[in-house]
Amino acid sequence: MSGAPGPILEVRDLHTQFSTLDGVVRAVDGVSFDVARGETLGIVGESGCGKSVTAMSILRLIPRETGRIASGSIKFEGEELTSLSEEEMKRLRGHRISMIFQEPMTSLNPVLTVGTQIAENVVRHLGVSWKQGRERAFEMLDLVRIADSRRRLDEYPHQLSGGMRQRVMIAMALSCDPQVLIADEPTTALDVTIQAQILDLMIELKEKTGTAIVLITHDLGVVAETTERVVVMYAGRKVEQAPVEALFEEPLHPYTRGLMRAIPRLDVEADAAGTRPRLQEIPGLVPILTQPIVGCAFAPRCSFATDRCRNERPPLVDAGAGHLVACWEVDRVRRAA
Amino acid sequence: MTAYIVRRLFATLPVMAVVAIFVFFLIRFAPGDPAAIIAGEDATAEAIAQVRMKLGLDRPVLEQFAIWSLQLLQGDLGISIFSNLPVTRLIAQRLEPTLALTLSTLFVAVALAVPIGVVAAWKARKLVDRLVMGFAVLGFAMPVFVLAYILIYFFAVQWRLLPVQGYAPIGEGFWPFVESLILPSVALGVTYMALIARITRASMLEVLAQDYIRTANSKGLATDRVLLLHALKNAAVPIVTVIGIGIALLISGVVITETVFNIPGLGRLTVDAVLKRDYPVVQGLILVFAGAKVLVNLVIDISYAFLDPRIRY
Amino acid sequence: MAVTAEDLAPDIRRFSLWTAVRRNPTIAIGAVLLAALLVIAIFAPWIATSDPLKIAPVNRLRPPSERWWFGTDQFGRDVFSRTVYGARISLIVGLSVAVISSVLGLALGLACGYFRRVDGVVMRVMDGLMAIPSILLAIALITLSRPGLGIVIVAIVIPEVPRIVRVVRSVVLSIRSQPYIESAIAGGTKNWKLLTRHILPNTLAPLIVQSTYVCASAMLIEASLSFLGAGVPPEVPSWGNIIAQGRNFFQIAPWIVLIPGGFLAVTVLAVNLLGDGLRDRLDPRLARRL
Repeated sequence: MSGAPGPILEVRDLHTQFSTLDGVVRAVDGVSFDVARGETLGIVGESGCGKSVTAMSILRLIPRETGRIASGSIKFEGEELTSLSEEEMKRLRGHRISMIFQEPMTSLNPVLTVGTQIAENVVRHLGVSWKQGRERAFEMLDLVRIADSRRRLDEYPHQLSGGMRQRVMIAMALSCDPQVLIADEPTTALDVTIQAQILDLMIELKEKTGTAIVLITHDLGVVAETTERVVVMYAGRKVEQAPVEALFEEPLHPYTRGLMRAIPRLDVEADAAGTRPRLQEIPGLVPILTQPIVGCAFAPRCSFATDRCRNERPPLVDAGAGHLVACWEVDRVRRAA
Repeated sequence: MTAYIVRRLFATLPVMAVVAIFVFFLIRFAPGDPAAIIAGEDATAEAIAQVRMKLGLDRPVLEQFAIWSLQLLQGDLGISIFSNLPVTRLIAQRLEPTLALTLSTLFVAVALAVPIGVVAAWKARKLVDRLVMGFAVLGFAMPVFVLAYILIYFFAVQWRLLPVQGYAPIGEGFWPFVESLILPSVALGVTYMALIARITRASMLEVLAQDYIRTANSKGLATDRVLLLHALKNAAVPIVTVIGIGIALLISGVVITETVFNIPGLGRLTVDAVLKRDYPVVQGLILVFAGAKVLVNLVIDISYAFLDPRIRY
Repeated sequence: MAVTAEDLAPDIRRFSLWTAVRRNPTIAIGAVLLAALLVIAIFAPWIATSDPLKIAPVNRLRPPSERWWFGTDQFGRDVFSRTVYGARISLIVGLSVAVISSVLGLALGLACGYFRRVDGVVMRVMDGLMAIPSILLAIALITLSRPGLGIVIVAIVIPEVPRIVRVVRSVVLSIRSQPYIESAIAGGTKNWKLLTRHILPNTLAPLIVQSTYVCASAMLIEASLSFLGAGVPPEVPSWGNIIAQGRNFFQIAPWIVLIPGGFLAVTVLAVNLLGDGLRDRLDPRLARRL
């Protein structure tokens, strides 16, 4: 949409840490990626790999009592976010970068009407009257295809279904035409037919508005259906990054391969609970992040691991055509395919 | 909504009935002859007989109860043994100071304690929070009369800023009225404030950890809107509940505060009636105080429906 | 900044009284203060510097000094000795009310949680009692008998019992609805066994916490009753009585009121701190709610 050159969002060598009773948790440990204007970038990984913390770091919503961005740079439209004041950050949140969350059941305020919750965002950031804000909320509910939207404005979240609440969250997030929408597991809590509807809606709205989407998920199926580029994270680090076709054609990191094996095939029915199986089939456990990881974080669970993997951290290397991977044994992995 | 209010109103009836039955039978179940208890230890047989007749204690208990409850339903609380005046009139005469004292304390305490609790939760584990918690713990342990005397000692005796004792009716000028209420209100209100501030903080802390607060922050809303609308409205139910529970503290405190500050209100009337064993007056006062407490809790029950749209009525 | 096993080890080894105190300072502060008071109360005859009842008009209204640590009252009685003996009354009332109302409240609460029919009646009565502010109820009860320590305790127990009943009842009801108890009932487990094995142990923690608060509340009510002239007989040196008798001389001899008042406040504070600490430790669910 926009003609301006360069990525809209640039994350460089981000380190986000939490202090806990057991020590410092390095939740994000040197992650870099770009988001191009209007693009859909997927960030995948198991729970606890740091993907949600990455998202919260971009908006600087890490709880100040326990966590902090230790180092690194986050640039939005060339502007450094880590050095903005809290007040400047607030002007940005919900306006130019907005976010939707995994739990539509608990992410909306139960005691405020849907209309108020959408309108307040518009009133806050676009400086319009409450009346105009409400009108905008009404338009947005129409846009996310909530039937009978005029009446829904005055309803409370508990009167809506889970899918409708996530639509409301999307309406809220897009109400100020943000340049970037960060969606943290937006469909995980929904049943499978609603999941597809919500993803389709997000893609359709993206086409319409030109908003770039950062889609955070553990579900490679979702990634395959909706994103253009993918970042794979493991233990707070980026282990692989590739255009979505390239990644599915030839995953290069053993961890990504493990994930792939855990995807439910699209022609296979979802299970009785309506959810796709989660990615638990990789043997071993995610490493404890309070202890510094020497070498490759995935080595203890990796069938290709050598002594070098356990002792030296593999750098990200370009394997051709923008396909980056951090693995010492790429060649062996390739041959094993 | 009206149906809900009516239903809640009816739900208070059994409670008030239990209070009435309890109040009536209290003296009848006491060990010994109630007339002798009322007449006092050194009373002559004649005086005891007189009391017995006056209170109708010579009739069968159930008949007494029937008469008493019929009168009660008509708003008749009986006649004082000592002044021979109707109990309702005695209560009406003493109502103004007590209402002035409790209402001013109630409003000031709530208006101060809730924001204090909110700030403490917002700045959790910071210095402000620790000060607030310290105040809450100390305030809750401070006996009303001890605090009252400390206040009198400094503000009235040492610095001579405020009157030591007494009550100035509002009819005699607004400023003296306010002056006469400041120290009693503070003495009465500190425990109450401590209670409310503590619950507000705890309730806010719980709410601030919720997902919808994260959503509100992700929208870049101003801090005051997040705290005072998104969080406080969700935290309101327990806070309002404790404001209601605390009414009992206020009423108990009024009895003591009025004694310390020599305020001629219902609390003073209670103590005098108890010391003189003027039983009809004591009964009437218990009913009035319990009624006030039940009424406040009714208002609070109804307010839940406004605070939380999920509550069905 | 590598963290190694050596760095972590000392923490484990140093686990001791000191660590426990640091983790939960409120219990420790409360317990130490209470222990001090207990010592004062038990050894009052040795600690007191003179007879708390001895009248000496020559020495009336003397300010605190080396001879009379806390000064003297309008009859020349030694306020220090009276305050020391006053600790006895406070502790006796606080502890006995806590114990008696716990026992009664436990019995009634268990009965309410167990038998629907009992529940209906007892809870109506409890609601009625709770509608009457406790000091009011207590002074009304006191008028029914000759003044004395016994009637004071009874008069405070009655308004406190409903608070315990409520706590115990809610615990019993919540445990009864647990699947494992339902299956135990269905499997024919005896009521008595159910009670002693599953229900009683679970009520214990909230009961202890609640009875601490009842103890603090009882001390406050006792002092208030004495202060109002409706407590223990005036010749008994309870803190409330000392204050009540000194209040007319407050402007010239504030120590008669402020010193026993301070003792009372610290005692109640100590019991409350103990209660808060126990609550945090024994009953995290309740701790989160408060």
